Amino acid sequence: MIAETTPGQRRRNSQKAEIVAPRQGLRLPKPVRRLRRQAPMYALQAVSQLSARLRLLTGRDIIDLNRIMEVVQFIYQQRELARRGPNYAVDDFGFDPQWTESFITAFKTLYRDYWRVETTGVEHVPSSGRALLVANHAGVLPWDGTMIKTAVFTEHPHPRHVRALVASQFMGMPVLSWFLRRTGQAVGHPDDTRRLLARDELVLVFPEGTRGTGKGFKNRYRLTRFGRGGFVATAIRAKAPIIPISVVGSEEIYPMIGDLGPVARLFGLPYFPVTPFWPWLGPLGMIPLPSKWRIQFHPPIDVSDLPAKAAEDQHLVMALADEVRETIQRGIYENLKLRRGVFL
Amino acid sequence: MPPHVPRRVLITGVSNPLGAEVARRLAPQVPHLFGCDVADPLSALEAMDFVHADTRLSVIGKLVRQLRIDTVVHLAVMVDSPHDERSIHETDVIGTMNVLVGCSGPASPVRRLVVKSSQAIYGAGPHDPSFFSEEMINWDRPASGVTRDLLEMEQLVSEFALRSDACEVTVLRLGFRVSEATSLARYLSLPIVPVFAGFDPRLQLLHEEDAAEAMVRATVADHQGAFNVAGEGVVLLSQAIDIMGGRATPILPPYARWLSRLGLKTIARVELPAYLTDVLAFGSVMDCSSLEAEFGWRPAHSSRQAMDSLAEGKNAELIEAPSPPQEYELQVYLQQRRRRMLLPIHGGRAPSGHGGAN
Repeated sequence: MIAETTPGQRRRNSQKAEIVAPRQGLRLPKPVRRLRRQAPMYALQAVSQLSARLRLLTGRDIIDLNRIMEVVQFIYQQRELARRGPNYAVDDFGFDPQWTESFITAFKTLYRDYWRVETTGVEHVPSSGRALLVANHAGVLPWDGTMIKTAVFTEHPHPRHVRALVASQFMGMPVLSWFLRRTGQAVGHPDDTRRLLARDELVLVFPEGTRGTGKGFKNRYRLTRFGRGGFVATAIRAKAPIIPISVVGSEEIYPMIGDLGPVARLFGLPYFPVTPFWPWLGPLGMIPLPSKWRIQFHPPIDVSDLPAKAAEDQHLVMALADEVRETIQRGIYENLKLRRGVFL
Repeated sequence: MPPHVPRRVLITGVSNPLGAEVARRLAPQVPHLFGCDVADPLSALEAMDFVHADTRLSVIGKLVRQLRIDTVVHLAVMVDSPHDERSIHETDVIGTMNVLVGCSGPASPVRRLVVKSSQAIYGAGPHDPSFFSEEMINWDRPASGVTRDLLEMEQLVSEFALRSDACEVTVLRLGFRVSEATSLARYLSLPIVPVFAGFDPRLQLLHEEDAAEAMVRATVADHQGAFNVAGEGVVLLSQAIDIMGGRATPILPPYARWLSRLGLKTIARVELPAYLTDVLAFGSVMDCSSLEAEFGWRPAHSSRQAMDSLAEGKNAELIEAPSPPQEYELQVYLQQRRRRMLLPIHGGRAPSGHGGAN
């Protein structure tokens, strides 16, 4: 079916060819444009000169150039991410490594400068192959998870991404579910754990779950019940070593003095915390306190010599879970002794 | 017992695009091919005998016995269709029950039954694991609409499989497809795509060709049981919208999803089934490893490639009438010019047959 047949018709319906050219609008003069392009470079040069001058004057590093370079790198990484469009791949769990690594700078600042985390025993984390990391859970928001992830990614000689398991109710919350998935977290379901371990990933579990994060300030550093030992059974089936982790400092970031149960039920949350600052100060109350943190990775507990059938042996599973719990609790007490003060 | 070789094959719901493609691929492989549907087939196939028959009526049993059918490919299962809920239920549950009744009985000639099911059977929710394997059907979930119909249908099929030892039963749970006519594709092709605020789910897609290929492979060889069929890897919803050249706007409230469905229907003229709105909030991904192990084959197109082929198809335009080759360039030129003059109109619904589009 040809709509226009005669040349006359075609001429009548034809349109002028459009000339594709740069937009003729307001265009800044050339030197200004060049300056705008090179301004970041000039600024960096000026800062480095200033830092050199200050070092000469005072004999100390007043401006840390590494920090500034990190900020610049962060900005450039974000621009790169914006530029890649839809041309990236996420793994089957929805994990986007490039996107996650662009945030490491921000978390590193928290790790190093805000909470001054001291990490020991990171060499117990294998540089390849699977492992199940088990940690105590505290603080109202799971900052301990992000700090363990940051610790393994920045302190380990072979940087690796830790995949944490998240309670499924957080996967139903807007923004959180998107952020958690994108940064590599999975649902706390035995099937997810099995699949992640089968891919030789580092999997982080908090057997305490929301019982740990939602406990009051007066119960700080007292481990709650460790679930039903499901993590041990999964580790035995996957033949993955269990690495206990003790985290000290996460309890003081939000000192929870009360829990408004009815409000929590209204919003579908596991608990609604009341701290000296939240909810009285609004969003300001969500800023965590700068406590001093210590993270200790304990030597791995090897379960590879156990047969897969041992996972059904409830007695053995509970005994192993108790051993892990004891190790973590002991580590917490030792690190509390090593810490000079809550905020020092 | 020697392996069953299909000789007389009946395809129900042959007039939907998937049925037509399965028939086209099966025609050279089997000696006798029959198809039935309530609507006329999309294109004539010389090797196939077409019968106007409704699976909702008992005529299907007579057809099977009279034609001495030994293999039934049941594609008259509506998953993504513009029909109302009642007729979807009639076709999916009552229709399948009729087909099963037709295939059962001591003197039944049917030796193999292949049933089309869908990923929609798993539903989607925040408490689900990241991957669905075949045995992870959630019977306790208060299901509605298509999900409930599919659950009921698969229960009927599995009861039939237990009852009749002589018949090999295969159920293929096809992943979501994004060809032109599916509602997911229409949604993703919107210029401004409303998405649920704060959610970016993983989508797993299946290319049309792979869906047809899986159906054919299940028909010609013995693979009993239920299998997930979907492309490798996942695509994030935002990524899919980017590939289609649209703009994702987080304006849908994450709670009360029926409200968003109503809004999409009235404003954007895209009617999403209830299970798809759940998927667009929480995502749904299947584990296809048992398909790979049993069939020794996996879909040739990954989820990403399925999405890319939809994006390519958006730029192409179907040429209506067959024309001599020298006119082709002129046609393309004229159409491009027409497109430049008037904006393309979306939401045109192709007349769909028995099985709907997906």
